[in-house]
Amino acid sequence: MKAMKKGMMLSVVMILILAMIVGCGSNNNKNTNASPSEGKASTAPETTTEPEKTSKTEKVKITYSMWGSAEEGSKTQEAADKFNATQDRIEVEVQAIPWENYMTKLNTQATAGQLPDTGILKEDGVIQWSSDGMLNDVSSMYEGSDSKPLDSLAYKYQGKTVAYAAANEILLLYYNKDMFDKANVPYPPSVLEKAWTWDEFVAAAKKLTNDKNGKHPGEDGFDSQGIVQYGASVENLAWQLETWALSNGGGFYNNDGTEVRIGEDASTEAIQKVADLYLKDHVAPLSVGQTDDGIQRTIIAGTVAMATNGQWNVGTSLNAAKEAGLKYGVAVLPYMKEKVTLNTGGANVVFSQTKHPQEAMEWLKWYTAEENNWGLISSGIWMPILEKWYTDETLTHKWVDNPNFPPYDEYKSAVVDYAQSSAARPASWFFTNNTTDFNTLLGSSLGDVWTGKTTAKDAIAKNLEALKAANKGDK
Amino acid sequence: METYNKPPQRRSRFLSSEASVAYICLIPAFFGLIFLTYLPLAGVLGISMTNWTGLKNPEFVGFSNYIKLFTTDPYIKDSIIATIYFAFLSVAGSMIYSLFIAMLLNRKIPARGFFRAVFYVPFVLPAVAIYVGWSWLYEANFGFFNYLLSKVGLNKILFIADSSYVVPSLSLIAVWLSGNLIVIFLAGLQNVPSIYHEAAEMDGASGWNRFWHITLPSMTPIIFYNLLLSLIANLQVVTPALALTNGGPGNSSRFMTYLMYDQAFVNYKLGYACATTFIIFAILAVFTVVLFKTSNRWIFSEGGDDK
Repeated sequence: MKAMKKGMMLSVVMILILAMIVGCGSNNNKNTNASPSEGKASTAPETTTEPEKTSKTEKVKITYSMWGSAEEGSKTQEAADKFNATQDRIEVEVQAIPWENYMTKLNTQATAGQLPDTGILKEDGVIQWSSDGMLNDVSSMYEGSDSKPLDSLAYKYQGKTVAYAAANEILLLYYNKDMFDKANVPYPPSVLEKAWTWDEFVAAAKKLTNDKNGKHPGEDGFDSQGIVQYGASVENLAWQLETWALSNGGGFYNNDGTEVRIGEDASTEAIQKVADLYLKDHVAPLSVGQTDDGIQRTIIAGTVAMATNGQWNVGTSLNAAKEAGLKYGVAVLPYMKEKVTLNTGGANVVFSQTKHPQEAMEWLKWYTAEENNWGLISSGIWMPILEKWYTDETLTHKWVDNPNFPPYDEYKSAVVDYAQSSAARPASWFFTNNTTDFNTLLGSSLGDVWTGKTTAKDAIAKNLEALKAANKGDK
Repeated sequence: METYNKPPQRRSRFLSSEASVAYICLIPAFFGLIFLTYLPLAGVLGISMTNWTGLKNPEFVGFSNYIKLFTTDPYIKDSIIATIYFAFLSVAGSMIYSLFIAMLLNRKIPARGFFRAVFYVPFVLPAVAIYVGWSWLYEANFGFFNYLLSKVGLNKILFIADSSYVVPSLSLIAVWLSGNLIVIFLAGLQNVPSIYHEAAEMDGASGWNRFWHITLPSMTPIIFYNLLLSLIANLQVVTPALALTNGGPGNSSRFMTYLMYDQAFVNYKLGYACATTFIIFAILAVFTVVLFKTSNRWIFSEGGDDK
């Protein structure tokens, strides 16, 4: 028995030693390129890391990470192959990571010092990664180019451009044309100059809200419990609410994202107005911000006449609904005091761990040229980032004049012109740190506001200190 | 623990011969536990003392994560309350429901096998499908339940959109999902000796009396097992929050495991999330210990008093 025990002890020790060896092995093999052959790292400690032999004839290898399925990854790789064929200095390899694990995976790679050279990053992670020193300055990327990205698409940390958005997106007002025709209400304006005021918006929404007896809110005998069609739905996800705070002369933050302004009356009043669409005006369905499928729930479900949400819905869901017979239109958002829409878009970054920042930027610049993302742009999911697509009408025609989009004139004015107007402002995560924390806390603070158990003013006052702490990153 | 009234010498020989075989057989499980449970647990404790975010190198910060959690954290208090409230409703609800259904299914009813399957089916359905389905039932504006309510002229109930209804609504789903408890109860019911029932019947005991004095006492070990299983599962609840409510409205369904998930994999505060994990662990441990300590007061043991 003793021999047995000894044997056991021995095997335990052996296993521990083995584990240590394997552990060291992967440390030794630390390299900046997260290549698919990474798994080799844990084989044997003897294999000393080979220094990268980059002779002048050999191409520099760049890894680009993106979110998406393996299939989407291979499509992007096809684009990269084209790039690889156009020149003989850079070889790009695409690493596709499923969306659900994307940021987790990058975090893990960052810890291990194995980040790709460049990649796409979630909007709300850019400034934080920047403040942790993980991103390179990319200000020089478009030097000497014929067209630059729209100004509102640059992510800025301490005055430096640390990323450009991979695509553009703005918030719009979608509407169901059949419902407007039936109620004999004029369509919402697609021209910024004619944008509806909030009151005009609510008035139109009332005419479009019907209870089961065909009565509208404000009429005698209107039954708010028996509404069969709602007039309007304003998306109340925390980040989108910033639109209304800004529009009412308030905001979430000051101009550089260092001070919290959400406690100001103008901000809380704007949020209350959004809540009142359901609570007082009875024109909106209840939504407590639990799901991110606003357009499916409203316009596509055919229960709501107007709904606000991002431009990407044109490509992600409205295309299919249009084929199934939905007649929808696009319009500019209504406004409270100032005309405001937010623009956003995931960021293409160059990680600071890379040894080849120049090559990485060169690839990004090539890749984000719209021709190379044409599938996403022509289907209506992404909007171009380079200014020329908005200003040069032949290019605009090339982009918008196709059956995936609403009628050209309508889309041109409600989306293309809107996106380059003064109303378009970057969402706060383009320049503010810790927006994930802030938005989570704001969303949770407002939970009882939508059902009317408390007011926006009280709910925010109660959590203002915590919101300020979240912005500072102290939590 | 059981003690044996055996002479000491015999006992040690007994140990050395059989225990060593047992130890050898336990080695794989032992390794599994060490490497997959205890070392990670120690790791969690270690990380919880750092400010690790995954990006920068972690710095040791002592107990400050715990101090923050108990002083300034805007979520944890609501989160603990929501979790315990949910666990209480779900455990009580599913125990009563499962025992009741199991007793019905234990009778000689027509198509018994079919009905047994019917009540077990929810347990094996994919979780996402279940929650999407229930979200249509619960939807505040046009959901099926609200449609039914409006048909009979009642006002809408906001279900999962209302902070006071969300936990009971989610508990109802948990109760409906408790098919696994029914199966275990059924197995237990079939082990209740029928001679007791026959004897009691002959003595003229009513159905209720037979349930209260025969079925229930003989079932207590099974009840204990189910209670433990159900309590631990429900205290670790996370799926409804992920699939249905995002923790809302407000913090009303921000269950602890969801909070931890959010801290770790949405906000990447890994050190902080590990501290939360340890608090969850402590709460689970307290509940489990209390359940075990009080169990001998109400578990009926056929073996008589061997304590």
